[in-house]
Amino acid sequence: MEIAYYPGCSLHASSELYDIQSRMVFRRMGVELKEIEDWNCCGATSAGKTDDFLAIALPARNLGIADASGLAEIVIPCSSCYSRMIVSQKKLADDPGLKNTINAELIKKAEGKIKISSILEVLVSKANSGEIAEKSIKNLEGIKPACYYGCLLTRFPCDVEIPDSVENPQGMEIVCKIIGAQPIDWSYKTDCCGASAVINDTDTSLLLMSRILHDAVARGANCFVTTCPMCQLNMDAYQEQVGEKYGIQKRLPVYFITELLGIAMGFSPNEMQLDRHFIDPFGLLTELKLI
Amino acid sequence: MSSQSVVFKPEISKPLLQEVMDRSGQNVLACYQCRRCAAGCPVGDETGVTPDRLIRMILLGEKNEAFNNLLVWKCVACYTCGTRCPNNIQTARINEILKQMSKEAHIEPLNPKVAAFHNAFLTSASHFGRVNELEFMSLYEIQNTRSELKRGGGWRAIVDKIKDRAKLGISMMKKKRLHFKLDKIKGLSEIKRLYAKAREKSVDR
Repeated sequence: MEIAYYPGCSLHASSELYDIQSRMVFRRMGVELKEIEDWNCCGATSAGKTDDFLAIALPARNLGIADASGLAEIVIPCSSCYSRMIVSQKKLADDPGLKNTINAELIKKAEGKIKISSILEVLVSKANSGEIAEKSIKNLEGIKPACYYGCLLTRFPCDVEIPDSVENPQGMEIVCKIIGAQPIDWSYKTDCCGASAVINDTDTSLLLMSRILHDAVARGANCFVTTCPMCQLNMDAYQEQVGEKYGIQKRLPVYFITELLGIAMGFSPNEMQLDRHFIDPFGLLTELKLI
Repeated sequence: MSSQSVVFKPEISKPLLQEVMDRSGQNVLACYQCRRCAAGCPVGDETGVTPDRLIRMILLGEKNEAFNNLLVWKCVACYTCGTRCPNNIQTARINEILKQMSKEAHIEPLNPKVAAFHNAFLTSASHFGRVNELEFMSLYEIQNTRSELKRGGGWRAIVDKIKDRAKLGISMMKKKRLHFKLDKIKGLSEIKRLYAKAREKSVDR
């Protein structure tokens, strides 16, 4: 089975490990992620905040390429890319004038055919169908993740239907439980970590992260799990600074969901490039004899 | 004790109100000041001005205040306010529009770093069709240093900032999270056309 795949800039750069892991985990379940040809940057938060036209037009080119691929579904791991693509598809459907203006500049026209899915949506369907359980050889009992969704997976600048609760989503919990992990209940799962502000307004971002880290630690989580490369890098690379500034002693590894799945499916830390984490990802896994 | 009454003059407030409503697609008039947005805003503690206050400024036609407050410049676009609004007003969208309007009016942004960051991102995306993180960060630092010097900022602060950034760069490199290969797309001419169209649109306003 093939699904169209949009990695986005981050998965080609600082979060390359997430790209590698996604392909591995899906391949194990018999799904080939087919990267769409010659895709471009979606514009991310920056276009959304500063240029209404580019915010729709940049993702539209990718949507045109995806539509032309002939595949029925496209999976987008990065929450920011996912959000921008889904908003663009909706705006183009709502505004035929804008759609014509943008399509006039494109070689492959956006038609609005392809179904846009977050990586979580696809994984939840694989959890429900039993395909994840079937491929898992290790039980992750003892892993107590704070499932961290961040802001862009459930909330959008316009009305978008998603197949999960907006305020208390459960998709990641469903996937984690299938492989034996014990996700904790907590209050900050959809709070923003301020990834787009960490460079230009560092103090704000550190404050937002401190609340997230504080609650996860207080609720007894022993790691974070996320699907968003922006959240992962932010919570991982800046956690030491957050902890020092706000007097939080404990550090929690920040796993991609593909890392927990990869461990369950028997991939080695080397194959998954776990050494590219900032907060030690090995200690917990070793302690639980998972690696 | 003196009390100040709010002055409401529709002829003053209407142009701003209308433009914000048209461009953001948000029905600002529907706000009944319940402050659910304020309760959920993650930066509200820092900004003082919460989404409900911003909406009131727009309703009263307080243009300067609407452009120059911390909410517009610290908003992280997490869309919590709009998701919880009983009247479906997405204030984060209004913040985005106010940033665009203030740029078009050549108003100095309250936090120039925020503007420089997003400019650098979009510039980087236009060069190669994809954002190359090293190029993007360099563009940002150059633009930032330039505007800091223009505002009379001291060299010392700038040097400290660069040292800070270098520290992050080195730790990213140690963790092999820095990427040195340049990612470039073939359909760059399409991207250039879209950017040209975007410029046309902003000139039309």
